Amino acid sequence: MKHSIKIRINGQWYLGDVETGMTLLQFIRDEAGLTGTKAGCENGECGACTVLMDGKPVRSCIILAVEADGSEILTVEGLREGDKLHPLQQSFIETGAAQCGFCTPGMLIAGKALLDKNSNPSKEEIMEALGGHLCRCTGYKSISKSVEIAIDKIK
Amino acid sequence: MTLKHVGKSYTRNDGVEKTTGSAKYVADMKFPGMLHAKVLRSPYAHAIIKSIDTTEALKLPGVFVVLTGKDVPGPFGVAVADQYPLAKYKVRYAGEPVAAVVAVNERVAKEALKHIKVEYEPLPFVIHPKDAVADGAPILHEDLMNYNVAPYVYPQGKNIYQHFKVRKGDIEEGFEKADLVVEGETWYPYIHHVQLEPHCAVAQYNLDGTMTMYSTTQAPFVVQNCINMLHDIPLSKIQVIVPYIGGGFGGKSDVTIEPLVSCLAKAVPGRFVRLLLTREEMFIGTNLGRGAYCKYKIGLSKEGKILAMQGESYLGSGGNVDYAVNIVTGMGLAGTGPYEVPNLKLDVYGVYTNTPPIGALRGYGHPEVHFPVERLLEKAARKLGMDPVEFRLKNLLAEGKVNGIGQVVKHDTGNVVLCAEKVAKELYKSPKPNKGDNILVGRGMAAYMKTPCMPTNVQSSVFLKLNADGSVTLATGAIEMGQGTYTVLAQMTAEALDIPYEKVNVTNTVDTLISPYEWQTVASHTTWGTGNAIILAAENLKAKLKESAAKVFNTDAENIKIEGDKVVYNDKVLTWGDLALGYKNPDGSALTEPIMGEGHFVAKGVQNPDPETGQGNAAADWTQGCIGIELGIDKTTGEVHLYRLINYIDAGTIVNPQMARDQVLGAITMVISSALTETLVFSEDTGKIRNNNLVDYKIVGIEDMPEEILIDFVQTPEESGPYGAKGIGEHGTVGTAPAILNAIYDATGIDFYELPVTAEKIMMALEGGE
Ligand code: FES
Ligand code: FES
Repeated sequence: MKHSIKIRINGQWYLGDVETGMTLLQFIRDEAGLTGTKAGCENGECGACTVLMDGKPVRSCIILAVEADGSEILTVEGLREGDKLHPLQQSFIETGAAQCGFCTPGMLIAGKALLDKNSNPSKEEIMEALGGHLCRCTGYKSISKSVEIAIDKIK
Repeated sequence: MTLKHVGKSYTRNDGVEKTTGSAKYVADMKFPGMLHAKVLRSPYAHAIIKSIDTTEALKLPGVFVVLTGKDVPGPFGVAVADQYPLAKYKVRYAGEPVAAVVAVNERVAKEALKHIKVEYEPLPFVIHPKDAVADGAPILHEDLMNYNVAPYVYPQGKNIYQHFKVRKGDIEEGFEKADLVVEGETWYPYIHHVQLEPHCAVAQYNLDGTMTMYSTTQAPFVVQNCINMLHDIPLSKIQVIVPYIGGGFGGKSDVTIEPLVSCLAKAVPGRFVRLLLTREEMFIGTNLGRGAYCKYKIGLSKEGKILAMQGESYLGSGGNVDYAVNIVTGMGLAGTGPYEVPNLKLDVYGVYTNTPPIGALRGYGHPEVHFPVERLLEKAARKLGMDPVEFRLKNLLAEGKVNGIGQVVKHDTGNVVLCAEKVAKELYKSPKPNKGDNILVGRGMAAYMKTPCMPTNVQSSVFLKLNADGSVTLATGAIEMGQGTYTVLAQMTAEALDIPYEKVNVTNTVDTLISPYEWQTVASHTTWGTGNAIILAAENLKAKLKESAAKVFNTDAENIKIEGDKVVYNDKVLTWGDLALGYKNPDGSALTEPIMGEGHFVAKGVQNPDPETGQGNAAADWTQGCIGIELGIDKTTGEVHLYRLINYIDAGTIVNPQMARDQVLGAITMVISSALTETLVFSEDTGKIRNNNLVDYKIVGIEDMPEEILIDFVQTPEESGPYGAKGIGEHGTVGTAPAILNAIYDATGIDFYELPVTAEKIMMALEGGE
């Protein structure tokens, strides 16, 4: 069965007639054509597909598109303001925290979710926010350091 | 020579793309009329395929074709021709492709799989290489001795497809003189690369005989060759295109899903066909790594000198061996670790097992053999009552010593001794910390060395295109998969041309039709090989600039000087841009030609090892280093916490220190994972991998990382490397597992010889009072 839904992604409404089984991740990538959000497992296990849904970080591969009907989504493409990169994007670039770049969108969104609700998180809080986000390339240190640097940039 | 760009921590030139979501990966691409494929995989590890019935599947609306073994060419394989894109007659691992459907979308393709009927006759199967060589073991390839093999492959029959030998000195005499002999067996289990990006390939075959394929491969030119062999399409008509890839670690090298996808595309000419693997398929249907069982014996004098070493190693290689042959070679070349062994006998066997194929995995045979060597040397030092650091320093391959394959260690081979001294100094600088009554603190170290196991004549070519504005585009066939290749290559280009770094742009998509040839992006050799090609191309470009300017100024090229972005003759000056597309005379007629620098590098002087002794100049270069670990073990839970990680590595000149550090840390992290948590679990009934998801197969997370990390360099310039550089990407994997296990021993007095050492295993051992 098809459902007519609309989801606002990065400030723009996207309409779609979708099957019940379509995930939010599929809607974002295939319907809206925003391929920055990555599919690493499609089973809620890796964090690569993380987006903000009404301000909260969610794994878009285990949410149905129909469940997200009417919601407000932020993906990695929506992080920058015009030509200006978000402080997290800047700090990820400075530290080289994006190696292959496949976990990066999810990491950035997790970092953004943290900094939105806590402008001065401790090392432990950073670790907690990034916990469960898998990265096979970096050894994580440059990623947590990037979040720390972004805190100062935002101040 | 002072270097302007090499040695600087420039930020990555792909940073903006990768942090804004604009970097493109294969699965992000859509093509008009694109069809989708799904694969039916064997549920059995070993079985005869009695029949396959695809009739019902073909009836489903939306299904285009269903292929089975009878529809595909083969056998193929560069080292051993032992595989088919879809199984024929029998299956040799659970997960092996048996049939594939091409349909209008993934859903229909998946549905169609349910309608394919396969009748199997299950056979006994074997997972562990030790069992595979035992008497009465099930035989995977009955016809092995008649297979086509490469000249350096020596099948022995039964399940042994390769035997690599290293012989040096007199092994019996060595052991006779020994005051102490230590022996042990190690098992490095089967593990997976767990690249975050799943494999994906999209291909189109046209009736004019051309094939285009987009793939997540580290080896587009190898894929091109494979398609050429399978379908008899000329190389000039095979276009393999690779954008960014989301992690490789060797698991996307050589060929994986591409042969099958090429067959699917061939079956529906004119249509793009995409195969994107699920996470489960990543585990059961692509290459795995390691799977090495080693039995070592080392003889020593009471003064602590190694007198003899004997090793027998078996690499479980899967149902078809593909390139595992070369991992066997790596286990032989590096089989002594970075130690001098006067009397040596190593036998490395490549063994068929009913597991998915074992392929390259960051480290390539080296972590496998450093494991027994470093564990047993630790044991030896203890038995001799010697300080493990002092003991290692006595035996390390210092300048002037001779390694296991007869190469004399030269100054530029690198300074493993200095690396070990620096690690030891830092690791033992203060007494062990007191972490409370429940925590046992331990320290351990391991030294390591690694060579790229490459074809003897490995090639890298590049073009340097000079643009009309004086900027330069570097065209390379090297892949970016996270390692920062394009940044490092841009730095070397800027250095070689003496132009600002910002003026260099690097192509970020490889296309076998137009990119210059590059063997493949593996073996940590891009900085070295492609870097050498860049230096040659820069010389070529500068020579052309001079020749062009000489024509303009009507003089000889040797009178022309290049100063920055100017070309100068006495007081006359041209810019590079003036000459880039050719110089025009005042009347508008052309005087000179457009300028592009070409550089073609081929390794010279590297030989095949002698088949009887393994001796020879078989290793192009060695990167060496040492790692130290300080950890704590919770007596109540068995959990391991890493406090300090110290690593010194001599990879010659470091082109980009920040990125190099992160490469080393990334490699070490993978092995922290395999040392403490990772192992693939095979079902006892069917031989299928059971933990085929990221919850049951746990890789380390941010919370598992060491608290303090010191990664630094000893930089002995490598003579054969550009600006003295050589490989660094894999080397962090090599010594990490034994260093951790040596530290666990130091903390608990318990010796582990099998990975992973989980908290449960530690608890059991602690409770058992071992
Ligand atoms: S793709 Fe959603 S958690 Fe992995
Ligand atoms: S950068 Fe590759 S997975 Fe994190």
